[in-house]
Amino acid sequence: MSIELGHFALVLAFALALVQMSVPIIGAQLRNETLMRVAEPAAITSFMLVALSFMALTSAYIQSDFSVLNVWENSHSAKPMLFKITGTWGNHEGSMLLWVLILVFFGALVAFFGRNLPLSLRANVLGVQGAISCAFIIFILATSNPFARLDPAPIEGRDLNPILQDIGLAIHPPLLYLGYVGFSIAFSFAIAALIEGRLDAAWARWVRPWTLAAWTFLTGGIAMGSYWAYYELGWGGFWFWDPVENASLLPWLGGTALLHSALVMEKRSALKIWTVLLAILTFSLSLLGTFLVRSGVLTSVHAFATDPARGVFILGILVLFIGGSLALFAWRAATLTSGGLFQPVSREGALVLNNLILTTATATVLIGTLYPLLVEAVTGDKISVGAPFFNLTFGPLILPLLAIVPFGPLLAWKRGDLWAVSQRLIWAFGGALAVALLALVLVDRTSVLAALGIGLGAWLVLGAMTDLVIKSGLGKVAPSVAFSRFKGLPRSVFGTALAHAGLGLTTIGIVAVTTLETERIVAMEPGEVVEIHGYNLRFDSFRPFTGPNYTEDQARFVLTRVTGRQLGEIVSSKRFYTARQMPTTEAGIRTLGVSQLYVSLGDQTPNGKIVVRIWWKPMVTLIWLGALVMMIGGTVSLLDRRLRIGAPMPRKKAALAQGGQA
Amino acid sequence: MTRKQKRLAVIAGAIGFLGLATGLTLYALGEQTSYFYMPGDLEERPVAAGQRIRLGGLVEKGSIQRGDDTYVRFAVTDGTESVAVQYSGILPDLFREEQGVVTEGAFDQNRNFVADTVLAKHDENYMPREVADSLKEKGVWKED
Amino acid sequence: MLFWILAAFLTFVAAFAVLRPFAVRNGQADDAPAHDIEVYRDQLDEVERDAERGLIGPQEAEQARAEIGRRILKASEAADSQAGKRNASRRVTQLTAAIAVLAVPLVSWGLYVFTGSPNMPAQPFHARATEEPANAPIDELVARAEAHLAENPDDARGWQVLAPVYMRIGRFGDAQTALRNIMRISGDSAEMQSGLGEAIVGGAQGMVTAEAEEAFNAAIALDPKEPRARFFLGLALAQDGETEDAQAMWREMLADLPGESPWRVAARQALLSSGDTSVAGAETAPTGPSDEDVAAAAELSQADRQDMIEGMVASLDAKLQENPDDMDGWQRLIRSYIVLKRPEDAKAALERALAALGADAPESQELKAFADSLGIKSE
Repeated sequence: MSIELGHFALVLAFALALVQMSVPIIGAQLRNETLMRVAEPAAITSFMLVALSFMALTSAYIQSDFSVLNVWENSHSAKPMLFKITGTWGNHEGSMLLWVLILVFFGALVAFFGRNLPLSLRANVLGVQGAISCAFIIFILATSNPFARLDPAPIEGRDLNPILQDIGLAIHPPLLYLGYVGFSIAFSFAIAALIEGRLDAAWARWVRPWTLAAWTFLTGGIAMGSYWAYYELGWGGFWFWDPVENASLLPWLGGTALLHSALVMEKRSALKIWTVLLAILTFSLSLLGTFLVRSGVLTSVHAFATDPARGVFILGILVLFIGGSLALFAWRAATLTSGGLFQPVSREGALVLNNLILTTATATVLIGTLYPLLVEAVTGDKISVGAPFFNLTFGPLILPLLAIVPFGPLLAWKRGDLWAVSQRLIWAFGGALAVALLALVLVDRTSVLAALGIGLGAWLVLGAMTDLVIKSGLGKVAPSVAFSRFKGLPRSVFGTALAHAGLGLTTIGIVAVTTLETERIVAMEPGEVVEIHGYNLRFDSFRPFTGPNYTEDQARFVLTRVTGRQLGEIVSSKRFYTARQMPTTEAGIRTLGVSQLYVSLGDQTPNGKIVVRIWWKPMVTLIWLGALVMMIGGTVSLLDRRLRIGAPMPRKKAALAQGGQA
Repeated sequence: MTRKQKRLAVIAGAIGFLGLATGLTLYALGEQTSYFYMPGDLEERPVAAGQRIRLGGLVEKGSIQRGDDTYVRFAVTDGTESVAVQYSGILPDLFREEQGVVTEGAFDQNRNFVADTVLAKHDENYMPREVADSLKEKGVWKED
Repeated sequence: MLFWILAAFLTFVAAFAVLRPFAVRNGQADDAPAHDIEVYRDQLDEVERDAERGLIGPQEAEQARAEIGRRILKASEAADSQAGKRNASRRVTQLTAAIAVLAVPLVSWGLYVFTGSPNMPAQPFHARATEEPANAPIDELVARAEAHLAENPDDARGWQVLAPVYMRIGRFGDAQTALRNIMRISGDSAEMQSGLGEAIVGGAQGMVTAEAEEAFNAAIALDPKEPRARFFLGLALAQDGETEDAQAMWREMLADLPGESPWRVAARQALLSSGDTSVAGAETAPTGPSDEDVAAAAELSQADRQDMIEGMVASLDAKLQENPDDMDGWQRLIRSYIVLKRPEDAKAALERALAALGADAPESQELKAFADSLGIKSE
């Protein structure tokens, strides 16, 4: 019964979403307060209903209720409990329900925290949110209903794709969706502004924290997905420029641009129309990402179950929302007052440059991702656009941006002094140069490019630190004063510095691993020793092992330094999941400092040896540690007083609600 | 510089950047994309040695020969024609006889196809989309 | 029934959420410009704070203050001009409210009737697994045993129960897994090894493959008298065309077997069908193998066996027509026709092979020599 109740709750949430998308917007048009007020309870109730629905599905997974088609297809009674729960969203239907759950969750948050927004803005924002949930709930009910039943129920399930039975992938989709869907708030605010024909002063203040939160989650989601692919697929690659990966990178790039342009809009009331457009584009890219992943129109290593009917449906949603919002933009943008002009050399000038580069880079990734679709539609030829394309276009375009990042936060608003900023950055520049030289001498004498890349990463990290040093006045005032000023700096300053430093760390990791990585592929038998990058890896034994729902052949390796120091064991295996009759490769990874040794097994050769692939991955963990630092930056920035309170309470009410909101 | 000149310089810079981006993109699309072929397509549209393509189809039954180390030879077939492929490296987990694969690489001077990438897929029922489409056109493969 | 009550309750909650704003009057006016002014005031405070901390210079702060001041002025003007805006009539409000409140139950119940299965109970795995097993169909029993074994893969008894069942329902691959598991847990035994061989033979449609032979040899090594292994090893020889060796093997086996063994029947039938009539009528056959000791090969009647072999040969023949370069295949085909006592077909096969390979090809010479050894000559 709980399943059917969950199903009914979802249908009911759809009915409520219909009301939420129509009544408040009508109310805002008629300037009728009562109608506008419907938005708030509708949004909160929708959230509770979808949450109930999601819990019902999760409980069906926990109880292995195979009378639910979705559970039968993706679960197995012998699966570990953790993967039974995460299996809820490890498949198309469940993950779409999670998507909607997060969407209505954000809607409820706006309803809850938005009590101090102008009523009509709130009504329109929640109305647009209602429209989005409406579209996606009907998509779920019509093409991918997770509550479809089976009668008679099969006795045993078909198990979740073993590749997805992994803790990394269990957290990956929720984070990614929190990011994708989080951008819907910025989108709804943009559409609301267009409907009303005016941009409230609170607009940018609201858009920025939501975008920041979405961006932080998306950063985590992308990093998690990348790390998952790195260790689970057994190829040791962290980014494949695969369409599905691009689908998550596109909204991230758009969101990064949006974060920066919203800053200009808030501080200087400029770039208003551009920011509205970016908000629309960013969420459109999120929708496009969902479409690419769910429809399977592009060949990808990640896409799981795909179905053309779903693709067409999502394409419809895509056309409706992207086309509709861009049409609305074209029609209404002129009614928004545009902001003032400003000097090219200034903080806002630097942010415009950031936006120019980011959107251009986004465009190249978008073109590379969609070009195969376009060519196939026009000529019928099937082509693929792979990593070389993106390395050749995205790389050169994004590099100048990385080089100028440290200048931005140091430039003053309105009129900056580039020469003065350069002087302040001289230490950071010197430091970066030293790091580059050191890398050239110590690590690799031949690769100038690698040294330059690592120097660029160091430049970002040191530049971010310089910003903090200068803003706290260290070296100019007494250390104790500087320390108290440091403590008193707005959180957003720390956020900026951390995010930029994280970007630097990621850059170092990417450059180091792509230019300095070494690889050995050898056929080995127990007892043999391979030397790689100053380590000896001895193949110790090869034996079968039985796990809860798989059997595997484990290869054990003993790692020692060339000098003889023991460093323990690395276990790598080939697994076979019996329920799905599916083999997987479990790589053996050993972290040494920030670098890793990566051991992956291949097939057996005719003479009984085993092909072993060993990589030395220098500084590879910095790629994800950098992302983590970026996330911390985003979170710290969110804690800023100014952002925590979306907009100030009107004074007459502030006194009453001080306790709750402060 | 006057204000107007400054603004012009900024606009010119932006246009220059966009131009550069467009140029790069067009160049890369021309140079760095690879076309998808089935073995049977090679006669109609010959491929020069050294040109990167994606070659897809089914792994021909009984064609997999493993060398001593990581060297593997197998044939990719579309049911009528087949092409011998050489590859050195670790094959994906789901690389099996009569399963779909996409290989990426180029023909060498002796018309041997040397692949540097072999893709199969995560899912046991997977068929790379291009392969599935092409095989369906030829009527070799049916969805079950 | 409980479901409908809860569904009705949820519907009521949703409808109430829509209706509430209509019931509760809230006097606060929607005054967007006033909101703007609040935001700008807060920005002014922020500029003050930044200036105090020295984050921005005094000149910069002054400029910012002036700019925000201008925005406040503009917003105040807008606030004045907006005074006296229109408000919708009560009729419109009431109509919208009515439609909205009605839409919630109508849409949800209407849709649910189409998509839901309200009368279907939940069937959690745990509850089903503990049901009475009495009337459950065999598949379900097997599934239940499998679920048990997936959790306790070291339960040898469980595997022992499943292995013969798998054999009987033709899931030979699973039978192999089960037997291998038994041997993993309780160690090698001749019976298990020969059972494994038989499962492999079953999976190969009756052909005694090299892998199966290996298992039978392992069984013989453990117990030289293990009847099943001897029977199948004989069959392997017969399938290779070495009829006499096969017959010798079966005869030897027959001599060793105790009178009540069900394998006597199998061995005698095999001898008969291979053309050795010496055993006909020499002994009255027992009534047949017991139910507990079902052996796939023993259950096969001679006609069944003949049908099976002929089916295999036909499929081999068809395969060779598509793929005529397969030397091994041709040899097997010719040999099979000899075993089936169809020399004409064997000859025809040889001729087709020669035509396909080319009469002068080295393979053709080899094939001719092979056929010659079996007593077949091409013209």
